[in-house]
Amino acid sequence: MSEGGYKYHAIKGVGLGLRSSHYYEILETKPNVPWFELLSDNYMSEGGLPLHKVDKIREQYPVTLHGVGMSLASADPLNLDYLNRLKRLADRLEPAYVSDHVAWVSASGNYTHDLLPFPYTEFTQQHVSDRISQAQDILGRKLLVENPSSYLEFQATEMTEWEFISGLCKKTDCNLLVDINNIYVSAVNHGFDPYEYLEALPQDRVKEIHLAGYEKMEGYLFDTHGSPVHPPVWKLYQAALRRFGSVPTLLEWDTDIPDFTTLRVEASKAEKLLSGVA
Amino acid sequence: MANKVNSIEELKLQQDEFYQAIFFPHADSGNVHNLGVVETEIMTQSQRIDIYRNSILGGMSGALTNIYPVCVKLLGETYFTRMVAGYLREYPSHSPDLGGYGHYLSEYIEGFEPAKEMEYLPDVAKLELLWHKAFNAAEDVFSNEGLRALSDLELLSSEEHVKVELCLRTSIQVLTSNYPVHRIWEVNQPDYVGEDVVDLAEGGAKLVVWRTDDFTMRVDVVSDDEFRLVESMIKGMTFDDIAQLPFQTELSGIVQNCINRGLIVGFRIDR
Repeated sequence: MSEGGYKYHAIKGVGLGLRSSHYYEILETKPNVPWFELLSDNYMSEGGLPLHKVDKIREQYPVTLHGVGMSLASADPLNLDYLNRLKRLADRLEPAYVSDHVAWVSASGNYTHDLLPFPYTEFTQQHVSDRISQAQDILGRKLLVENPSSYLEFQATEMTEWEFISGLCKKTDCNLLVDINNIYVSAVNHGFDPYEYLEALPQDRVKEIHLAGYEKMEGYLFDTHGSPVHPPVWKLYQAALRRFGSVPTLLEWDTDIPDFTTLRVEASKAEKLLSGVA
Repeated sequence: MANKVNSIEELKLQQDEFYQAIFFPHADSGNVHNLGVVETEIMTQSQRIDIYRNSILGGMSGALTNIYPVCVKLLGETYFTRMVAGYLREYPSHSPDLGGYGHYLSEYIEGFEPAKEMEYLPDVAKLELLWHKAFNAAEDVFSNEGLRALSDLELLSSEEHVKVELCLRTSIQVLTSNYPVHRIWEVNQPDYVGEDVVDLAEGGAKLVVWRTDDFTMRVDVVSDDEFRLVESMIKGMTFDDIAQLPFQTELSGIVQNCINRGLIVGFRIDR
């Protein structure tokens, strides 16, 4: 990986999701935030103010790139144009990690822009693995793949999500971004034990953790990323830290985005737990 | 029935049926029972698909709200969301870039019967899309081999001067409207202060939408001649051909005006 222009690369501690409403405050006040995560799909344009601001922020902070557009579990061919644009963005910003989800987004070339579920079978595991390998070859780096939150399961499923995801690591050498909120949301929605999920993941593959808020709906939990982290997710996070160690953690907040101070207060709760890990 | 997913064909079939169930729930092809979703006492298959439908349509509709804020303001958010529900079905997104969705909304509005009374609305949508394109356009990058700054013109030899090809800003977009859409757009900006009534009798305008070097967005009303020059340059016409067009004033003056406005930003040497 090129380490041409930037002073900071590795990430540690609790980072924040970078949102456009906070650009000016970050550049003006240079807050003591260890790193930022960028939604890569928002910076795929050829130019303009957002990309310019991100370049400026990158000079001061390490970053990671996190996307939803790779559609790793789709039956469509991998979108090479998207991957090449992502590579250009990664070459430009030199992120610590590039990540996407174990989900599909497009069917027959039509994009839904949402992370959709699929049956966990021997076939789909090999299919997703082949695509992760192809994406890693194009990007010239290891990917972090993230567990999704889900609201339905398929009769065709042959294995648990944690078996499916652990298998991806074995087959592709990829690493994991473990979203604690997603595990909890899916556990409640489908009735599995979230602690069993954590225990089954390969310890040495977990390179990043996500925390976020959910919303309690009629009969299910919905992953909104629009509220503070809920107590059961904090508890699960502590179990994750015990198992995986002091893994860099991101506080995600994508809807009803609060002011920057509120975000930092929420992040400081995670920082307190993270700093207590040996 | 896609209950088994052990091949690429079965995966494709299931994902196509999932897509149909989201966007066309009342069609035979959108029958959720084809999907082999586990049903529980808490929720039916349809209710589980509804969660995804609301999330997907909400996200795509929200993207259009971001690109077309003035249309949203003119129609109200509820009406706008209802209006674009049909657009989401008829115009699928073909790119992972959600910010690039919605390029045909003005055409859709033209055919949307309930909005026919707002005859200027399709042009307002066109203006907003051009603003969005200019906002995200590439920067003008100067180099000795490619685009060069106008100030370099004086460094050229007389042989090089005849090979000069003037260049527009990359971000430039143009729009002709029979309505004062620039005024409608202006009075509906969040920071606008002043007379907020627009008289449609003001008539139409020729507009150039562009972005300055410091990322300020501009919507300029230009003369017929300036518009013809800019439009011809966007089309890639040579200056010899442009000189043959029926301008009302001297072409050199028009070029100078466009340079003064900042629309012509540099030049290339035609090799």
